[in-house]
Amino acid sequence: MDAIFEEYRAIIPDFSGFQGSLQRPMCTHLRINRLRIEPRSLLDRLERKGVKLERSSKIDDSLFFAPGLTSPGNLPEYFSGYLHPQALTSCLAAIALDPAPESFVLDLCAAPGGKTSHVAQLMGNTGLIIANELYPGRHAGLGHTLSRLGVLNTIVTGYQAQQFPMKQRFDYVLADVPCSGEGRFRKIGENGFYQTRKSKLKLPDLQKKILLRGFDLLKEDGVLLYATCTYNPDENESVIQHLLTERDARLLPVVTGVSCEPGLTKWRGRRYDVQIRKSARFYPHRLDSVGFFMARIGRRT
Amino acid sequence: MIQWDSSWPELAEERERQHLFSQLEDRFGIPRSLFDGYLLFKREKSWSLVRNSSHIVAAAQFKVSMVGIRAFQKVGAYIKPTTRMLQIFGGAATRARIVLDENQLERLLGGERLCMDLDLDRGYVILTLGKHMILGAGFYARGELHSQIPRKELKIRMIRMPLE
Repeated sequence: MDAIFEEYRAIIPDFSGFQGSLQRPMCTHLRINRLRIEPRSLLDRLERKGVKLERSSKIDDSLFFAPGLTSPGNLPEYFSGYLHPQALTSCLAAIALDPAPESFVLDLCAAPGGKTSHVAQLMGNTGLIIANELYPGRHAGLGHTLSRLGVLNTIVTGYQAQQFPMKQRFDYVLADVPCSGEGRFRKIGENGFYQTRKSKLKLPDLQKKILLRGFDLLKEDGVLLYATCTYNPDENESVIQHLLTERDARLLPVVTGVSCEPGLTKWRGRRYDVQIRKSARFYPHRLDSVGFFMARIGRRT
Repeated sequence: MIQWDSSWPELAEERERQHLFSQLEDRFGIPRSLFDGYLLFKREKSWSLVRNSSHIVAAAQFKVSMVGIRAFQKVGAYIKPTTRMLQIFGGAATRARIVLDENQLERLLGGERLCMDLDLDRGYVILTLGKHMILGAGFYARGELHSQIPRKELKIRMIRMPLE
């Protein structure tokens, strides 16, 4: 068997387990949308249809694996906005951000809207979210997700994330940046061949610019969450290190209630600030989801 | 006075706002007061609804492409509450709410009109599957009900499809 992501052998714990996880299809994962229905009611509805859900988080009772349910988008409950198919690790971003009700929130790279709508859910549809998405072609899909899920506290803008206007500062900023998407890869089906694209090399530069702008848009006591779905330290820890070098930033703990590994403090001869250990790496063999990286950041006081 | 960027839709005038929300109250029994905490904007033939917040003043400076959800749409002589508007607020309705079973819903989604003798004037109704799942709007006229639910989004095969 070819070892995919061989370059990460030294940094991913239980590398053979990780490799094995890439051979398996990912279990469907759902977020029950509290803006529209209470989890217990939806669980009862789906159970009557023969769909059994398994809770995926100890601290959040709206997140569930749905083994055997391959097309949740074909349920009337999907049309009615009761649920949203969303990878567990993707759901953890809003949980880690932990936005307070009535806050002013900026989601810098918002499409397709899963995380934005989750943030709205956690805020109980209060406050205001700016859902920014550069590509106009993605606005319709973003708007559809938000309206299907009953999100009423959001407006959509179309700025380049790294040039989002410095007109206002925000209580929370979510920077779920464009990335190489390595964490989504499973060695199955037609897409079972991972190819590194040349454009991947340009991503860290863009990610650094977006992160700096996101940080500059924070209020004094604001919180920023940087997230990617890649294992690549050049797109993760190196980007955070750049922020720590350029700005008075500090890492805050990432609390999600699920298993994760700490951020790296060295990679290919480079050393990172020790506080980057507070960031979180999520691996598919640990929680049967998309590989993810998150760092929660505040201003140094 | 909020200085809106020119990209924003126009804030609906109070008279227009009262007219639209009164329509919901008169037809469906959805209290007007339910919308006190919301802003209503108009762009061409549709109106959008967004939660009011102290942050709106700050957000008004940005160029926007969408604001909240589309709440109403002008359709001929009628102003139709959108599917999403009814799904979100239809739970507060006390009348003009029609409970469908799966057979009736399949027929409606197939383009049929259902004959129903209802004590209702011509106009929009709220369609639900069973008592609780609000699907969206229907239109009732002369003893016939037809669906206004977007058939691209709720397909017949979704009603009874095997789930695994």
